[in-house]
Amino acid sequence: MNCKTARVLMSAAVDGEISFKEEKGFLSHLSECKGCCEEFDDAKKTKMIIKERILQFKAPQALIDSIMQLTNCNT
Amino acid sequence: MDKPAPTHQNKTPTKPEALSREERKKQLEFQNEAVVHLHSLYNYALHITMNPDDAEDLVQETYLKAYRFFNSFERGTNCKAWLFKILKNNYINRFRKNSKEPGKVDYDLIKDFYHSIKDTRRDSSEADTDYFHSLLHEEVYQALHSLPEEFREVIQLCDIEGFTYEEIANMVDSPIGTVRSRLYRGRKLLRVQLEEYARKYGFNTSKDQ
Repeated sequence: MNCKTARVLMSAAVDGEISFKEEKGFLSHLSECKGCCEEFDDAKKTKMIIKERILQFKAPQALIDSIMQLTNCNT
Repeated sequence: MDKPAPTHQNKTPTKPEALSREERKKQLEFQNEAVVHLHSLYNYALHITMNPDDAEDLVQETYLKAYRFFNSFERGTNCKAWLFKILKNNYINRFRKNSKEPGKVDYDLIKDFYHSIKDTRRDSSEADTDYFHSLLHEEVYQALHSLPEEFREVIQLCDIEGFTYEEIANMVDSPIGTVRSRLYRGRKLLRVQLEEYARKYGFNTSKDQ
């Protein structure tokens, strides 16, 4: 596998969306390519930081109530 | 809801309280399958509208539509993905109608969101090489929002909402290969932004150290 192919598979490898066969070739390329290896690490870190750092806001109670009412009408 | 005044007429067989079994079943299922994703939908709406009122409207519309068309939801598939698709379509229609420009970021608004959050920058001695962890919520948020919408969208759907590539492909009406490459390029762009923030605060982002 060359770098170009590895980069096509990069995000899929990060997200666990890679097939077993693809992964085998991908990992063997990483073992001999420092550049792709670093990129892979960076991509994983980037995903992690997004998951960690982006705050989740709770929906306001008024909205919750109105949605509940929608599915609870007339009771 | 106002109760109708009692009348002496006997020709109203369908009182509002007397919902059909079918309707009750639908309500219950809808609550278990769809309403449980309310917080996720609101969050996503907030991200794309950048405005709490718009976000509420969008979520409200989404649930109204979802409830009306709940029969067309394919049972056994991911209901959250189905709801997100409806929300996205609503969003596109709304912004086309209002000819507002989607994707514009109001940074003051972001500041408001993050204002009350206590956010302490970690000590750099903890892990010098891991400068990413020195970044604050707001910086990551701004970096994410600095990306072109097509990249930001897939990153959000994948990393924040946890959808599969197939679900994302369906939501953004693109092939899986496009989702893959947008994620790859989007994360790369994001990294550049994040490194810039980190450098600004004196963290060493060089790999050779």
